[in-house]
Amino acid sequence: MRHARCGAVLSGLLTLAPLCAQELPITERTLPNGMRVLMVERHEEPTIACGWVARVGSADERPGITGIAHLFEHLMFKGTRTIGTRDAARDAELNAKQDGTMAGIRQELDLLREKQRRGDIADSGDPGARSVHHRQLLERLDSLVLEQRGIIVKDELDRIYKQAGATGLNANTTTDRTFFHITVPSNKLELWAWLEADRIQNAVFREFYSERDVVLEERRLRVEATPTGKLQETFNAMIWQASPYSWPVIGWPSDISAVTRDQAEAFYATYYAPNNLTVVLVGDFRTTEAYATVERYFCGIPANPKAPPRVTTLEPSQGAEQRILGNVDAMPMAVCAHKIPSSVHMDSAALDVLAGILNGQSGRLTRELVMARRIAVGVEAANQPMKLGGIFYLSGMPAPGHAPEEVEAALLQEVERIQREGVTEREIQKAKNQAQVSRFALMEGNETLRDQLAEAEGAGSYQDFLLESTRMNAVTREDVQRVARTYFVPENRNTLVIHRKEGK
Amino acid sequence: MIRTPLFLAALAGGALCAQAVPARPESIRFKPLAFAAPRTAAFKVRLDNGITAYLAGDPNGTPLVKLQVLIRGGAYMDPKGREGLAKLTGMLMRDGGTLDTPAQALDERLEFLAGNINASLGDTWGRVDMAFLEKDFKEGLDLFMQVLSRPAFDPDRLAQAKQEQLQGLMARCDETGEIARIEFPRLLHGEDHFSSACMTGASLEAITREDLAAFHARILHPGNLVVSVSGRFGREAMVAMLNKTLGALSPGGSATVSPGVPGPAREARPGIYVVDKDVPQAHVEFSLPGLRRTDPDWYAALVLNQVLGGSGFTSRLMRKIRSDEGLTYGIGTSLGEGAHWKGRLGGSLQTKNRSVAYALRLILAEMERLRNDPLEAEELTVIKDSIVQAFPSRWGRKADVISTFAREQLTGWPEDWWADYRERIQAVSAQEVLRAARKYLVPSRLVILVVGNAGEMQAGDAADHPGLLKDAAPLPVVNLPKRDPISLKPLS
Repeated sequence: MRHARCGAVLSGLLTLAPLCAQELPITERTLPNGMRVLMVERHEEPTIACGWVARVGSADERPGITGIAHLFEHLMFKGTRTIGTRDAARDAELNAKQDGTMAGIRQELDLLREKQRRGDIADSGDPGARSVHHRQLLERLDSLVLEQRGIIVKDELDRIYKQAGATGLNANTTTDRTFFHITVPSNKLELWAWLEADRIQNAVFREFYSERDVVLEERRLRVEATPTGKLQETFNAMIWQASPYSWPVIGWPSDISAVTRDQAEAFYATYYAPNNLTVVLVGDFRTTEAYATVERYFCGIPANPKAPPRVTTLEPSQGAEQRILGNVDAMPMAVCAHKIPSSVHMDSAALDVLAGILNGQSGRLTRELVMARRIAVGVEAANQPMKLGGIFYLSGMPAPGHAPEEVEAALLQEVERIQREGVTEREIQKAKNQAQVSRFALMEGNETLRDQLAEAEGAGSYQDFLLESTRMNAVTREDVQRVARTYFVPENRNTLVIHRKEGK
Repeated sequence: MIRTPLFLAALAGGALCAQAVPARPESIRFKPLAFAAPRTAAFKVRLDNGITAYLAGDPNGTPLVKLQVLIRGGAYMDPKGREGLAKLTGMLMRDGGTLDTPAQALDERLEFLAGNINASLGDTWGRVDMAFLEKDFKEGLDLFMQVLSRPAFDPDRLAQAKQEQLQGLMARCDETGEIARIEFPRLLHGEDHFSSACMTGASLEAITREDLAAFHARILHPGNLVVSVSGRFGREAMVAMLNKTLGALSPGGSATVSPGVPGPAREARPGIYVVDKDVPQAHVEFSLPGLRRTDPDWYAALVLNQVLGGSGFTSRLMRKIRSDEGLTYGIGTSLGEGAHWKGRLGGSLQTKNRSVAYALRLILAEMERLRNDPLEAEELTVIKDSIVQAFPSRWGRKADVISTFAREQLTGWPEDWWADYRERIQAVSAQEVLRAARKYLVPSRLVILVVGNAGEMQAGDAADHPGLLKDAAPLPVVNLPKRDPISLKPLS
């Protein structure tokens, strides 16, 4: 156990370095089974922000099972051998029967896909194309689902937490990690430990097939029914050539519809072992007592003796600059994406400073494109590194009467100017000051701090979060110019231009 | 830090992890958690000019100070033909610089200090807030007072803001949810009510710098302001600083206490309203007449709403429509508090076009069930416990507590209304919920808006759940026109 301290760098009269001495008393421990535990004790409100992060996301998938990490996140709310059913044995029988029926349905779907491949039908998902046998199988599946519903205790996890006064039960999945979180009253930590340890080791994926439909609706909501959703997917697939970042976290619809319970079980056994997890607790507890509770409930979960496999594919350099043009019902826009290294890479801090210098009302992009030249109404630089690499976006919305291509050229000119002339010391200091204050803001609330720590653990270690301000304060003018020259080159560039669809 | 190699862990596992855990979570015993409802008196101060301020200082907290001024006044005061005036006034108070500090210098100074000043005016109230490092608070407060009381409304910045707004107007009919945000208030409150009024290309064009200055001068009256301050400071010193600044504000010649917010002139007309938009997923809104928070029925109605759709997965609509049927990613309802007129019980969901009719039938069936059958004791207990046990979380940190108090003071809710809240919730009986269901869940009073592919929505799901949209509820179906996004005039 140890307390990590923020490294204080006292340099330059304008820096905020003295404030960095604000220490964050994190206690870190590791259970014998490899599960890491981070605890921050503080008593401002009688609640505890709890969470655990699994180091698995869509980057750990492969074509055919895209979207499984996210579907899996949904299934983790469906209960366990104890929670969510009145009769675990019968429940397991019904799951097996459903899987058997589903295997028959999959054969029918294979036939339909074959017909679609040959052009005999337009859409294998069209209910009108189903055979009689297919319809019978669907009816049988429905009746099995109905029978199971009789012994299911609906959304019992949510009900138990709610009744105990817990709030914000949720989870989310990214390319690299899956995060499950909730806030409980300070006297209910043991309830959290019971329920989470239970679902980490005893999850049962009930309502598997209707949950795939929920995810398809979520996909419609986030992608298909939004004006630019599909365009963004296409852009992303263009940017990443070999990296598993090329497919969307939510997955391709045909994969979501086809994923099987066996595949989900295999995924669970591989990635949801304690040696791939970190627990984060922030709030009103005594550290020694909280750790004893965590130890008591999580210690017995067996580790995966083979450590989960790591992604080995490295993104190759692009052969050429790439661009796509979209005509959709949306505001015109230009987006220039440049690939950058991982969030834990030593250049990350300099790229953050660069984004800070470009952004803001007094930043270079707004000053030049919005205020001086009036060719854009909104501009942004976004440094978005992920675990295996990332993207630095420059984007802008043209002012009425101007074309997105004009904005695109102007965005690139601003970076070229930095490549040529560098930046000023004052600009660097301004970016650093802002980063420092936003860090304070993130550390104020229990939930935001918990989320930051979990995020850092998902991509590397919480140490990366603690060291962020030290790394940031060390960035020099030369660093900023160097990263601008290194990454903002045409052969590392991908551009999306959006025009409003004609006649709309 | 202890790091045990995995092979050792495997050997040690048995010995270390021998502790038994309960078979079910219900057998865990919890220590009691005492939590008293926060009282306004602990935070409240009256400034020299009568402004109410709430202070929550924490001398040991993060070295930031946050100050917020709430303003009574907003879009409901926009003159006809000048829709958007309040919104632009709010934006330009900060973005247009001050009489002492020009816009560009203000941007530069604030961003260098990493301080934040934001100003915005909404439909019925607005906010000017600031967040600064403790060491910069004095300078921050000076800039803040300039923004609040001496904005310059720089003409260049106004022109720029108008351009940005115009670009936004062009995009406002692109998404189903945005179309619903434009149409639904018209259906609920009538086209003449301020909540239906929207900025248009013409109103944007008509707004002048003088309009902004006049609007600002009108609302800047101590009687319209409520203050809250949180962060690292001592109470006495802060009160002294506030009295020298906000407490010394006196109303200018044209300042007035803002008028009351007018309610709608007519009842909503029930029906299923359809807007055609060619997308694969429809947006559905539904709404029923409700009540105000001060109504004696409030607590029963609140429990009813939590059972129906206000409590996520523990609510019936989510269970039925998402968990059982997989028809949506999310469905929820909320019970409006009725800040200025009777609130409404409303909900929304998104589902593929052909499932709209079936989802509506399921929603109506759940309402019918609540009208017919009293709640089982267990469901009632779960819902009441969830409200009562989450009471401490709803308040959050001290900074959140005073924000709540400031908002309530501005709206005019009775002070310390929350003192007996938990007792009132616990007292709600199944009979009272049944009575509330019969009173409020009346299908013939539903206003339903569906935005999606009209043909597919109207046809319903012939394969799996046959039934047309027009038969989903005993209500007339009304087709609404598409609108020009800039003028909002119907397209023929």
